[in-house]
Amino acid sequence: MPNIVIDPKKCKSCYLCVEACPRKVIKISNISGKTGSNIVEFDNTENKCTGCALCAISCPDLAITEVNK
Amino acid sequence: MQTFSIPKSLKENMIYTFCPGCDHGVAIRLIAELLDEFGLKENALTAASVGCSVFLYNFLDVDCVEAPHGRALACATGIKRAQPDKFVFTYQGDGDFASIGLAESTHAAARGEAITTICINNTLYGMTGGQLGPTTVLNQITTTSPHGRNREYHGFPLKMTEHIALCDGTAFAARVSLDSPAAIIKAKKAIKKAFEVQLKGLGFGFVEILSSCPTNWKMNPVESHKHIREELTKVYPLGTFKDLTEGL
Repeated sequence: MPNIVIDPKKCKSCYLCVEACPRKVIKISNISGKTGSNIVEFDNTENKCTGCALCAISCPDLAITEVNK
Repeated sequence: MQTFSIPKSLKENMIYTFCPGCDHGVAIRLIAELLDEFGLKENALTAASVGCSVFLYNFLDVDCVEAPHGRALACATGIKRAQPDKFVFTYQGDGDFASIGLAESTHAAARGEAITTICINNTLYGMTGGQLGPTTVLNQITTTSPHGRNREYHGFPLKMTEHIALCDGTAFAARVSLDSPAAIIKAKKAIKKAFEVQLKGLGFGFVEILSSCPTNWKMNPVESHKHIREELTKVYPLGTFKDLTEGL
């Protein structure tokens, strides 16, 4: 099943992955990160993720460390 | 099947120290991915510049020489001439490449040194607090131009890719941006060509990357990418300005 791995220590809450995801499976969580803003989380409850890796390509901080198809 | 993993040419367990949303992270990842693809990690040498781009050596697992401000291409010329079998590249910001190092940059291109240069253009001096630089666009507000860049007082911005493409020694010159996943994929192709011209010994390879600086532009990362797409590309058109590999 397609999934992504987000490293919460690396996420700086820029939300470029939220903008890049065509299926909108990356959401802003309730956990605050090291910049003070809320970090992102992977929410694939509807199995919409296709493993296209557009989120990982656009992440400037390599916080999305792994994408599986 | 894994569709994305962290490139091997990056240092293990490193965390970028750039501001949130800064495109330096993407540019360094693209270089690391290409070093992996070409198998150049053990054979690459780089001259670091001054500015935010200097942190390259904290993240990329290749040997690096720290050059004085603007002189990265002068250092890289020495490295390439002493060790012509090595792959030599520089990673510079626009203040380093187009302002203080303009003479070194232009002459390295004119001499046709087999070096690859990646220039990150964020239209101001990012590390020192957002001052007006040679590439600042007209009417852009910076800390040293609080009423915007004025054409009578500050003059016009410098277009480096067009300038470098005019040099006879240049084998490849292109301007790309990193504002969307599609643009990032195009940018990777351009950097790959700039690597190839060096490996084939055709001459100087140059890629200018339009990059965002959310901190000094005082925008959020998503807005700053929109600003690149809608405003900056009008002043700095994207595309390939010179490509000697086309006829080969």
